[in-house]
Amino acid sequence: MRWPERVMGGPLAVATGAVLLTAMLGAVLLWAGGYDPLAAARAAALGAFGTRDALLSITLVRSVPLILTGLAIAVAFRAGVWNVGAEGQLYAGAVAAVWVGLEGGSLPALLLVPAVLGAAGVAGALWALAPALMKLRLGVGEVITTLLMNFVAIYLAAYMVHGPLQEPRGVFPQTGPIAEGARLPVLVPGTRLHVGVVLALVAAAGLSWLFRRTRIGFQMRAVGASSDAARIAGRIDTRKVVLIAFLGSGALAGLAGGVQVAGVTYALYEGLSPGWGYTAIAVALLAALNPIGVLATAVLFGALEAGAAAMQRDAGVPAVWAVAAQSLVILAVLALDRVRHRAGSEASGV
Amino acid sequence: MTRVLARLSGVVRRFGSVEALAGADLEVLEGEVHAVLGENGAGKTTLLGILGGILRPNEGTVEIDGTPVTLSSPGDAWARGVGLVHQHFMLVPALSVLENLALGRRSTPGRLSRTHAHVRSDASRLMERTGLDVPLDVRVESLSVGQKQRVEILRALLRDPRILVLDEPTAALAPAEVASLFALLRDLAAEGRAVVLVAHKIDEVLAVADRVTVLRRGRTTLTELRASVDATSLVRAIVGGEAADRVSVWSPGQATAPRRARGQEVAALVDARARDASGRVGVDGVSLAVGRGEILGIAGVDGNGQRELALLLAGRLTPDTGSARIPDGVGFIPQDRTLEGLIGEFDLTENVALALHADARFGGRSLLRWRDIRTEADRVRVRFGIVAPGIDTRGGALSGGNQQRLVVGRELLVATDLLVAENPTRGLDVSATAFVHGELRQVTDAVTGPGVVLISSDLDEVLALSDRVLVLSRGRVHEIAEGVRTREGVGALMLGGADAVA
Amino acid sequence: MRRQFRQSLSMCVLALVACGGAESDSGGEAEAPFRAALLTAGPVSDAGWYAGAYEGLMLLRDSLGAEVSRQQTRTPAEFDEAFLSYGSSGYDLIFAHGFEYQDAAIRAGERFPATTIVVSGGGRFAANVVPLIFELEEASYLAGMLAAGMSESGTIGMVGGVEIPPVEGTFRAFEAGARAVDPDVDILESFTGTWDDVAAAKEAAGAQLARGADVIIHNVDAASFGVFQAVREAVATGRTAWALGMNRDQNDVAPDVILGSAVIRIPEAFLETALAWQAGELGGRPIYAGASEGVIDFVLNPALASRVPAELVAAIDTARGRIRAGELTVPRVEFVEPEVR
Repeated sequence: MRWPERVMGGPLAVATGAVLLTAMLGAVLLWAGGYDPLAAARAAALGAFGTRDALLSITLVRSVPLILTGLAIAVAFRAGVWNVGAEGQLYAGAVAAVWVGLEGGSLPALLLVPAVLGAAGVAGALWALAPALMKLRLGVGEVITTLLMNFVAIYLAAYMVHGPLQEPRGVFPQTGPIAEGARLPVLVPGTRLHVGVVLALVAAAGLSWLFRRTRIGFQMRAVGASSDAARIAGRIDTRKVVLIAFLGSGALAGLAGGVQVAGVTYALYEGLSPGWGYTAIAVALLAALNPIGVLATAVLFGALEAGAAAMQRDAGVPAVWAVAAQSLVILAVLALDRVRHRAGSEASGV
Repeated sequence: MTRVLARLSGVVRRFGSVEALAGADLEVLEGEVHAVLGENGAGKTTLLGILGGILRPNEGTVEIDGTPVTLSSPGDAWARGVGLVHQHFMLVPALSVLENLALGRRSTPGRLSRTHAHVRSDASRLMERTGLDVPLDVRVESLSVGQKQRVEILRALLRDPRILVLDEPTAALAPAEVASLFALLRDLAAEGRAVVLVAHKIDEVLAVADRVTVLRRGRTTLTELRASVDATSLVRAIVGGEAADRVSVWSPGQATAPRRARGQEVAALVDARARDASGRVGVDGVSLAVGRGEILGIAGVDGNGQRELALLLAGRLTPDTGSARIPDGVGFIPQDRTLEGLIGEFDLTENVALALHADARFGGRSLLRWRDIRTEADRVRVRFGIVAPGIDTRGGALSGGNQQRLVVGRELLVATDLLVAENPTRGLDVSATAFVHGELRQVTDAVTGPGVVLISSDLDEVLALSDRVLVLSRGRVHEIAEGVRTREGVGALMLGGADAVA
Repeated sequence: MRRQFRQSLSMCVLALVACGGAESDSGGEAEAPFRAALLTAGPVSDAGWYAGAYEGLMLLRDSLGAEVSRQQTRTPAEFDEAFLSYGSSGYDLIFAHGFEYQDAAIRAGERFPATTIVVSGGGRFAANVVPLIFELEEASYLAGMLAAGMSESGTIGMVGGVEIPPVEGTFRAFEAGARAVDPDVDILESFTGTWDDVAAAKEAAGAQLARGADVIIHNVDAASFGVFQAVREAVATGRTAWALGMNRDQNDVAPDVILGSAVIRIPEAFLETALAWQAGELGGRPIYAGASEGVIDFVLNPALASRVPAELVAAIDTARGRIRAGELTVPRVEFVEPEVR
């Protein structure tokens, strides 16, 4: 079975096709559940793109952590490092960011914001260091270790909001609000869009440049494409490259946690992330690990989330149905992507 | 009188826009050894894949025993008595040889251990009869390339095929093993089976085949009895009339003498020891020196430390004990070009960058000068005649011969002092082999040129090209005295080690 | 390719919007006197805290004719977004059912002055941000009276989850009620540190039973089953021991050992709050919903009512009447901050 070249297009066309396909599937699902699929679709579309606030304050704000974690996955996977621990690295970054944001109130914003984000990046990188060393020193596969480190980080965050970082009066399991000067400024006045989105754009552009222009970027791509060829033909120190990929990936995921705290929640809670670190894998794979592509797929996923929330509010569709519809889209996107890959490899011969 | 077991007529097979077969014919007779020749990319593997049920033709017919058939899976082909031995190993590395052989068996009811016992006794009997000797209880991943090949052949023979199809079976075998394989193939043919094999070495084909079919650009250009062809006519059919004159064919067993005294020493090992990936001793106390402008040939059967010696000399491995003096300007042609020589999903430029990215001329501290690398890549493409639309073509889209041209051309860019070539012509067709040999000779023409170390299990190649020859056996090198520098003398050293000659 | 994507994306959106032109059927939107929304951090199918809030929202729709909507938020990042969505669509009253919404509610209150936000169990308030505090202490006091009156050993126990002010409040009130009946009663107290560790709750209750306690109250939320189980096992050994329920009517959870429950009637609280808002009386201070509003009550287990002496029941009823009338002040732990400006 082969698809005409023209139909296959790029990953973005695949994503669009998947949205349309699952829109139909989702409609049937909702109709079977006794909900009005047209009203739901209308609510979702308006909730994601319909107004300035929907686009800037909701969809884009939701996209930021997905962009940063998606880039984290792209860095790791490009270098052949199967880091599935972005979730934990994000939590580590969030904890560090909150700590600096709470303690550093006396610093001017010009210093405090970089300190908060820097701490988040460093914490994320350190969280990735343990699995990196276990892989390089002991040969332990990183899929298991990074996954397990997620649980450690989630419990660490829970401990922090019940213990050392709990809000001053010790009443609620959350931290107090971080200092005003630690918060990311709003980018577009009157909206919730914070400068974290600029950071995410810069990170994507920077990563794209890194892969294309720099020696380390080239080495990462080579190690990811073929560790043996990189080592034998390229004389690349693959262990060093793997370590850098781990740390870079962890830093980006940690930054996602820091940006979320400094730009959106201003405090640490349990359950800060709904699983961005995992959704990021779909975001990055769908973008074919291309940093610029990650921007598009992360916004797509952000819009899906925003639409799901709007379906609850404006069409009375319960959360589980909305999430199920969203999951359908992800599945369809991945399946279509697979079909495209198979058609591509068939065309290039055996 | 002789029955036609299989006939493929007018077969066309396309991959995307590429036409791998453009109307090929093949007729397989009962009791014959039938060799299929052709350059890389001529369609040999595709044709065998269609006979073996792996690929389906877009046009044309396949007949078995005179009946048109549709072979939609290897199982279909097996059911009709066609057994295919792959060019690339289809073995499970983590399983033992015995378990891999058992995988090829139709599952018999009863316990697995009973199946294994059957396979063990069958395999032992077969190994005794054929001389294809492999340890049954060792994991496949720890076998040498040659041993894996033997496992593949054994696995096919265990199923008792009427038509045995072998894709380049001799590429990894030592001369004595080739001889015994050919004896086996002749025996199988004498039993009334048909043997179809793809081979590259014309002398091998002439030695074993009853009939020869030559493919060129997806079409059958020649099908003749062995008696009516010779090396020259085959080469002409393979490469086409106009190109034939530029390809020289050397006679087997002919050795060259040193061209002159070697130049200044550029690399040396002193009592070097190194372990292989699984921790066993690979190179066990080797001392040697390489001079400028010479080709130092290292003969020997794969698995005797060849890999580790190549990595040591190429500076990719540091010795556990002893010392290695390796120059900066070292190029390395690894034996597995698809896994280690290049990256299939990288384009030509990026593959050239693999060798250049560390060079200060092609980048600053952190940035790469892609424009300069592209220029260099295009020079490699033109200078080494790589057939590709451009330098943006992916490495994986090149034919085997063009991949090797790319690797050789790239490594010559950096091999200002030393070039280490590890089985550089394995799996290459006649003209690509001639190209590689020509480059190795040319680069050592001047006494100021780099030294070349040629590590090869192809004894003819080593003897024909080398100024000096060493044999690597069981991790140690043995000098070849001038008097024993014959095919037989070196061959004995390769198989038996030093004791056999002393 | 980029342009192609943009085109297809916008076509996709247009299609969805165009197709979705159908009327939304959220009952009687033209005439609705006001619009109310509910935010929960968990599913409304939990048969407890969130289910009560959902019933409250339905009560507003059915009895006041409100146009209603709700959203389950999955992460703190959605708090601001949900307030923004409801605030900018002109919702009048938002019930944010959990303390975790309080910081975002304060921020939203500033941005949407026309919207009133009610934060259940919240600790901060502003002109249009109102913590809704459930005065469970009033029922705990009555529970303490029952415990002391029913105890034969003179020792009673309290098993808590996390040691936070609302829990401490119920325990201080429980103590006060017990001492009102028996000034010499011994009262044991322990905390498990979690809300969902059934085994830890059972262990804590078992230890108190071993030290002679024969009536045990809990405030461990979902882990309460461990407390009931420990009491049941003590009864199985031939002892007399009782348990008391908390937060909602748990009498039917373990009808053989639970004497009564201190309950919060969330729907009634929502209704009272909405009525106060309609009357223009809501804002600038927390709302305390207690026994006098009918929100908090202590409910005897009908199956075991015959085991409780009539004079004890009478004393409890008297105390309930005095609390409702404001004549009896129950100890409580204040945790609402002074007004946010």
